[in-house]
Formats: sequence, C-alpha cells, structure tokens
Amino acid sequence: MQDEVFNELADLALKGSGQSIPKSKAYLIEARLAPIARREGFGTMADLVHCVKSRANPAFIAEIAATLVSKETRFFRERETLQRVLKDVLPERLKATNTGRLKIWLAGGSTGQEAYSLAILLEDELPPALRGAKIEILSTDICKVTTENARMGRYGHYDVQKGLSIHRLTKHFNRLETGQWEAGEALRSHISFRQHNLLESAAGLGKFDVIICRNVLPGMARSARVRVVESLASQLVPGGLVLLGQGEGLIGLTNKLEPARDFRGAWVAAGTANAAASAA
Amino acid sequence: MKTCLIVDDSRVVRKVAARIIRDLKFNIVEAGNGAEALKACRESMPDAVLLDWNMPVMNGLDFLRALRREDGGKKPLVVFCSIENDAEHINEAIRSGADEFIMKPFDADILESKFAEVGLV
Repeated sequence: MQDEVFNELADLALKGSGQSIPKSKAYLIEARLAPIARREGFGTMADLVHCVKSRANPAFIAEIAATLVSKETRFFRERETLQRVLKDVLPERLKATNTGRLKIWLAGGSTGQEAYSLAILLEDELPPALRGAKIEILSTDICKVTTENARMGRYGHYDVQKGLSIHRLTKHFNRLETGQWEAGEALRSHISFRQHNLLESAAGLGKFDVIICRNVLPGMARSARVRVVESLASQLVPGGLVLLGQGEGLIGLTNKLEPARDFRGAWVAAGTANAAASAA
Repeated sequence: MKTCLIVDDSRVVRKVAARIIRDLKFNIVEAGNGAEALKACRESMPDAVLLDWNMPVMNGLDFLRALRREDGGKKPLVVFCSIENDAEHINEAIRSGADEFIMKPFDADILESKFAEVGLV
C-alpha cells in the first residue's frame, strides 16, 4: 500500500472511530476493507481512497471507519471479570439501589460473545442475592453489520468451541441446519443490542450500574481514549463502576474516574470512591 | 507430567493432536481403536483421553462405556471428538461418560480451550 493511501485510511480511522493504526499494521487495513472494496467494485485501496476523497459520503466513510475496528472476541474472554461482576459487583450495586433493576453496558461488544457469556452466567450461576432483580445487558458496537450479527446470535463451529463448554453450548444454543449454533431465547431475553460509536454522546443510552469496556481503549489514540472514558464516566449511576480489560489502565488519562475502593481494577466517578466505601 | 491417551484410527489425526497436546505439557500414548485403548488403560490409566467416535474393532462409545466400568476408569477426563455433531450424538457421548466434546475439525485453540474447560490445563 502506498504511503499516501495508508495515511488517508489511517486518518479516516482516527477521525471516525478513534483508532490509531500504525504503519506496521497496514495489512490489517487491507484485510478488513477487502470485502467493502469488492462489494463496491474497487480494484485497489487507492481506488477506494480516491472515491472517498472526490465524493465524500458520510455514511460510507463511517462504514469504512467501523470496519477498520477489530472484532476479535470470544466467549468468556477474561472470565474472572465476568464472574466478579456477577458474584460481587451486581449484588453490591443491588443493595445500593431501591429499584430492583440493574443495567450493564458492554461498550464495544463486537459480535456479542461477551453479552451472551454474561447472560449464560445470569442463567447458570445467579447468586441468591440477585434473585428477583431485573438485570439488563446492553451491548453496543460501532459497526452496523457487527451489531446485526450480534443480535442474530449465530456462531460457527470454531467460535462456539472456544470458551464454551459442551454443556453450556447444548444447553443455551440450538444447532441450525447450516451447522451454526444460535443463542436460545433465555439468553436473548437478557440482552439488547445497539449500534453506537463510542466517540459520540452516549446520553441516549441511559445510565448504567456497570460499564464493561475491554480491549477497546488500547487500540485508540490518546485523545480518543480520553473522550471515550469521559463519556463512559458520564453514563454511570452514582456509585456505578467501569471495568476495563486486563492490563488496561487510566492513570494520567482523565480526572473523571478514579480507582474503586471495593473492587480492585474497577473505576468509579471521581469524588465517589470514599463515599462508596463509607456507605458500604 | 500428565498423560494423554489419543484414540483415533487415523494416524494423521493422532499425529496432529499429539503435537498440539504435547505443547500443553502432556506425555502422549496413542491407540488406533477402542480395544487398543482399553489395553493401554489397563496397563496405565491416563489423566486424559482424546477419543474419536467412529473406529474399527471397537468404537469410541463402546470404549468409553467399558472404560468407566474399569478399576480406576472414572478418573481419566475424556474429551470426545467427532464429526457427528448434532445434539443427539453429543448427548449420547455425555451420557456415556464423556467430560467434554469437540466437534471435528479442530485446531490447537479449540483443543486448549476444551482441555481448560475440564481443568486439564
């Protein structure tokens, strides 16, 4: 890929999704955009860039930016975090609310494995303290197609064999004629899916008790990370928590969030860590 | 070091599986059918068994039922492995004493994930 073509596409990714794609990963751009280029009849990435530049179509540009975001995920990735949310975080949050209702946002939920994993835990391992609570999961992704796929909940041979035990697979998924496995009604009843770009205001999504945002920030430019993190912070209910992926930190990035006292590795809105601890 | 018995009538499949499972830090023993596998278990009970379904002489299901009746035969964690992957086949394998089930074809990632599910790695 020529430098100028790479620069154009990298710039488009940065503006559209906050992704920072280094030159060493130019191959990722080609791999991820190949289906779009094929569909639109562009022979090369240069043709695609030329089209975007000569006739800017915001929807098409947004689609390109969304397509450039990694969709890598798997069932029960970093499962300790999900288990902790279920066993520790949610019961604690339930005590703090009087509505009997808890909302979880999976920010950057890709093809839905994370959401279905959490729903499986709600079905299989619900702690007594959460019985009767209404727990809603919202999974959002920047990409429209990915969001539709997540909502469809159909997974192939390889996807369902990584992270899912055979017991969970046969209990919660139905095998289709095509050989794919489809998430069952019980799992679906816990989850809703929406397309959402984390760089945009999340006010329309409502407030959440727990926001899980994993493997999203590390691929982003610093300015985008700040914007996303502050947007997440503004969607927390008082005392709500943000959980990031393993090894992801926020130190020096924002003063809107600070480490939670009660949950190692989790973050709360600044100024509330002590209040939450003394209330507990 | 733990031992894994790989039971498959295809030498190629055994070889591929052996390479992957050796990387997971297991000693490997191989058998070409259920009868050979049962003989191997009577000599020394493995920690894990990766078990094919369709084999000549004695198939995987018959081996599994026989194994579970052996002295110490409840101990090995058995990961069934088959091209037959409808719910009926899977349930029959589990009812017969399998701990996990892999739908063929598999790769290193799937094998490792399934071994992790039953606590072997």
